[in-house]
Amino acid sequence: MSDSAPATTSTPVSTRVAGFVKQPLIVALILIAALLLLGEALSPGFASGQQIMRLLIVAALLGIVAAGQNLVILGGREGIDLSVGGVVSLSAIIAGNLMAGENSGIPLAILGCIATGALFGLFNGIGVTLLRIPPLVMTLGMLGVLQGLLVVIRQGIPSGRASPGLANFVSQPFLFGIPGILWLWIAIGLVMAFLLGRTVFGHRIYAIGSNEQAAFMAGVPVKAVRIALFVLSGIFAAIAGICLLGYSGSSFANVGEQYMLPSIIAVVFGGTPLSGGKGGYTGTMAGALLLVILQSILVTINIDESGRQMVFGITLLVLMLFYGRGRSMRA
Amino acid sequence: MTMASAPARSQNRSALKRAFERYPFLPALIILVVLMVLNGWFQPRSLSLSGVTGLIKTYLALMFLAVAQTYVIYAGDIDLSAGAIVSLVNVVIVAVMTALGGDGLSVMAALAVGIATGLACGLVNGLVVAALRLQAIVATFATSIFFTGLALYIQPVAGTPAPAAFWRTYGGRILEIPFVFYAVVAFAILLVVLVRTRLSLRLLAVGDGQQEAYQSGLPVTAIRMGGYALCGVFAALAAFCITGDTASGDPLVGGKMTLFSVAAVVLGGSALAGGYGTVVGSMIGALIIGFINSLVFFVGTPSEWQNLVQGLAILLALMAGVLVGRRARA
Amino acid sequence: MIKLKLNGVSKAYGATKALSQANLDIEAGEVHVLMGSNGSGKSTLSKIVAGSVKPDSGEILLDGQPITITGPQSARSHGIAIFYQELSLAAHRTVAENISLANLPSRAGILVDQETLEERAQHYVTLFDGVTGDGFSLDAVIQDLRADQRQLVEIMKTLSTEASVIIFDEATSALDRAQVDRFFEILRTLKQQGRSIIFISHRMDEIFAIGDRVTIIRDGKIVGTKRIADTNPAEIITMMVGSHDEAGAKPAGHSAPTGAVASALSVQNLTGRGFKDISFTVRKGEILGFGGLHGQGQSAVLRALFGAIPPTSGKIDLDGKPLDPANPRQTIRHGVAYVSGDRAREGVITGRPILENVMPIHYLRDRMKLAHPVVSAGKALPALQALRTKFAGLGFPISSLSGGNQQKVVIARWLIDRPAVLLLDDPTKGIDLSAKTDLFALIRKLAEEGMGIVLYASEDAELLDNADRILVFNGGSIRRELTGAERTRYNLYQAAYEAA
Repeated sequence: MSDSAPATTSTPVSTRVAGFVKQPLIVALILIAALLLLGEALSPGFASGQQIMRLLIVAALLGIVAAGQNLVILGGREGIDLSVGGVVSLSAIIAGNLMAGENSGIPLAILGCIATGALFGLFNGIGVTLLRIPPLVMTLGMLGVLQGLLVVIRQGIPSGRASPGLANFVSQPFLFGIPGILWLWIAIGLVMAFLLGRTVFGHRIYAIGSNEQAAFMAGVPVKAVRIALFVLSGIFAAIAGICLLGYSGSSFANVGEQYMLPSIIAVVFGGTPLSGGKGGYTGTMAGALLLVILQSILVTINIDESGRQMVFGITLLVLMLFYGRGRSMRA
Repeated sequence: MTMASAPARSQNRSALKRAFERYPFLPALIILVVLMVLNGWFQPRSLSLSGVTGLIKTYLALMFLAVAQTYVIYAGDIDLSAGAIVSLVNVVIVAVMTALGGDGLSVMAALAVGIATGLACGLVNGLVVAALRLQAIVATFATSIFFTGLALYIQPVAGTPAPAAFWRTYGGRILEIPFVFYAVVAFAILLVVLVRTRLSLRLLAVGDGQQEAYQSGLPVTAIRMGGYALCGVFAALAAFCITGDTASGDPLVGGKMTLFSVAAVVLGGSALAGGYGTVVGSMIGALIIGFINSLVFFVGTPSEWQNLVQGLAILLALMAGVLVGRRARA
Repeated sequence: MIKLKLNGVSKAYGATKALSQANLDIEAGEVHVLMGSNGSGKSTLSKIVAGSVKPDSGEILLDGQPITITGPQSARSHGIAIFYQELSLAAHRTVAENISLANLPSRAGILVDQETLEERAQHYVTLFDGVTGDGFSLDAVIQDLRADQRQLVEIMKTLSTEASVIIFDEATSALDRAQVDRFFEILRTLKQQGRSIIFISHRMDEIFAIGDRVTIIRDGKIVGTKRIADTNPAEIITMMVGSHDEAGAKPAGHSAPTGAVASALSVQNLTGRGFKDISFTVRKGEILGFGGLHGQGQSAVLRALFGAIPPTSGKIDLDGKPLDPANPRQTIRHGVAYVSGDRAREGVITGRPILENVMPIHYLRDRMKLAHPVVSAGKALPALQALRTKFAGLGFPISSLSGGNQQKVVIARWLIDRPAVLLLDDPTKGIDLSAKTDLFALIRKLAEEGMGIVLYASEDAELLDNADRILVFNGGSIRRELTGAERTRYNLYQAAYEAA
């Protein structure tokens, strides 16, 4: 607080409450609680401890992919990474092949996967900044390459398996009864909070995302930051791929594709608009959880797949209305 | 700091620039010709009548969908539900044809219902994106889930055969000329007409700057909705082709096509940001994807490497298209 | 006969009153000139009439009937059209298409009637026969045209509406003499047809050549309306300036540094887009002013010095050492500071906390990696206090501040590590008086501490009050230097307006 400046006069409680409720994180948390209650009402046992743990594990997988997506989107200029699904799949296969069911192979697998993810992220970043290819086009093209690479690897090398250690890490209690993947997710949440809130790099991400020209005029290395964001996105997708291998036991075709667009939705539901520059990862974590619970409820209720999808689609649209609409053209 | 002054631009360059400006698909056309020559080189039969017919039969649907996507991209929007609309129309027309008995008249009725379905889907997209002002990428992803749900409701699993009257016509010949050529000619005429419509021009103007268009007095929201509506109609036409090609209904048949349609538009030289592009380019873009796929096959790439080589070739073509297009216009 | 009447029309953007209680009568068949300095409210007034800005209050009457304008389309249907200063052209469309964009002639209801489109475009292009310049044709694409040609297209587009009330908001700024003459002939024809023209321009000669009446706006308020025949440039300038400080520049309350002092920045023959052969020196402790009409190259020179746009040739010395302004990072590291008046675009990092808005320069110059809030606050607070910034807390978003305080935050960026040269590019645009006072007090103090300062201000009073010397720009070159007692408002206006 500056002593030369008078503090803002106290605002009425009602407006403060209204402001609080409009926080995307709060919106997401309220919706999560409501959905859990709804789930419990529709199918008793939905909100049991064990069930919630399972939901959290699934949410963690999505949430880790969404961390990278979140960074790219925060950086603005139509930042988006459609290649994350491909990196997740590729990473799951590489990890499976490198560890081949042995715990001793885990370090090598982690190293190999992260390097791979970083490499593809680097390609994306270079394409987007130095060649100025729109992110959507660049990462879409990269997705095609990754899908092709998957075919090559799957047929050339026997499909690998998760080691027992990795499988246990993802699905069995690890510490205080909580699976390792959730500890990992929490750690990623903390790292992201630190990165975005307490590092110069984090402040620069927000700066280029919210006003690239002003950031440039304030000496922010715009291109370097943006490349780094794509590299980080690749790395997070790779980590998610390793975890996914642990979750499903063995790698199979295009397992990561299911994360491509949901990772974007999780970010949006977490309060980071696609235009970038504001929001953060805590919201995205809630957004990922919200999405997973929503899908899970739809599985619980007794309607067939078609009804589920229709309800899911409409629910997504309605939720988007909560997260702010574009500006009107008249000043 | 001492700098030399910039050299004057040559006359040639500005003529080239003008050409690129008027025909943004020129780089794509060059790529297409090179690919065709290579195809002919490695497999002379690929350029024979039956070879070309086969390729068109397979890729006509993508050509239509690329055109569909072009109209929304004109205005700077995007439609990630285009593929889902294809799926929905596919199962709708198969269901209607089957229900009405499968004769020629029922086919006509089904096609009319299909067009109406596509149009309705497009209007829904336009409503959520232009009128409700939701972000196009996520909003059309949400509608794509909804449309897929509808398709699954109409036909839960793939495999319902389409009546023979339909696919025999699509795959057959009229007066010794394959039907798809008539389709292509009709398609071309339709596009020539559409290029001259007010909507087409206004979509491009909106893509050039929404605020400017609004200040000029254009009904921006209605125009963007028109783009989505047109997209829905062309997605329905794409669905007709796919139904003719696969001869069956499949509630997920179009899902994979969405991203290819975006790629085809960019390959064709249109700007994703809007305001600049041609539908012809998008058709060429779709054909480029087709010829890349067939070329990769004809050069004898081992089957497991085909997808990778295709992916790399498409990525390179995308990058080359964006870079060449920008250079040429700069 | 009164065609258009505004009654008590007001518009505020946040705390800034862009237009307050404006009353205006426009007669049929007259050219009514609006005059006022930058940001006085002319454009806001025009946009309200044209429908693209929504007024907060007030009433608009057309032919004596109150009308409601809900948007540009609605204004158009009432027969009101506008030439937008910032142009409203579709860059990738042709001249012909742009002229008829809002009213495309159609065949069968849906097709563009190409023939009518071209015929109609040809009609308006013909009006400018002989002055359109090379490369201008019906099928030329807008982005290939020169600035003056684009402006002509916007004029044609406006004329093609055949509206009965037409607003021209700085429609002549890029046109040459012959083009302006032709445009005025057309305006006279429109007048004879009984149409009303609202004409906004900064060029005094034009106003006297074409205007019937002139209304002067200052600080969002209408000062008065005069018949052109009954007034003269001096009176108009006086009205624009305001009578209270008519006397001209205050005598500088400080001693300007003399020749013996070392130069902070010296520029020789700097040339680039929008400026040529610029040479000057800023001494340590001096505030050098850039004056003249808006957009005569002042900004471009400052931006080039900062590395934001590339100059094509020239030589720059900072503190006696050559400086290569490759990009802002480079120049910032060498001690150049730049404050843009375009706060929204180039200053504030929108939606981010105040602290994050103060720190980026320090991050760069100190090569920091971590941003500890307490350490950062320790750096940021003194800088903010030096400017007497009013804020509730460093964590509050910058958008919660008034325009003046936002600009103080942007300037505070440069105070943590002292730069050698401070380039101020119209830094007080749209900020309130007390913030201005604080800002100039600080600038003077920085100068006294030995910083070299270049100040471009679109408000001439600011230049006269604060600059030790003034270079008057016109057409991208320095035309005149005002020193000592020459620094009067009258001299400045005369140099700026007469040369134009």
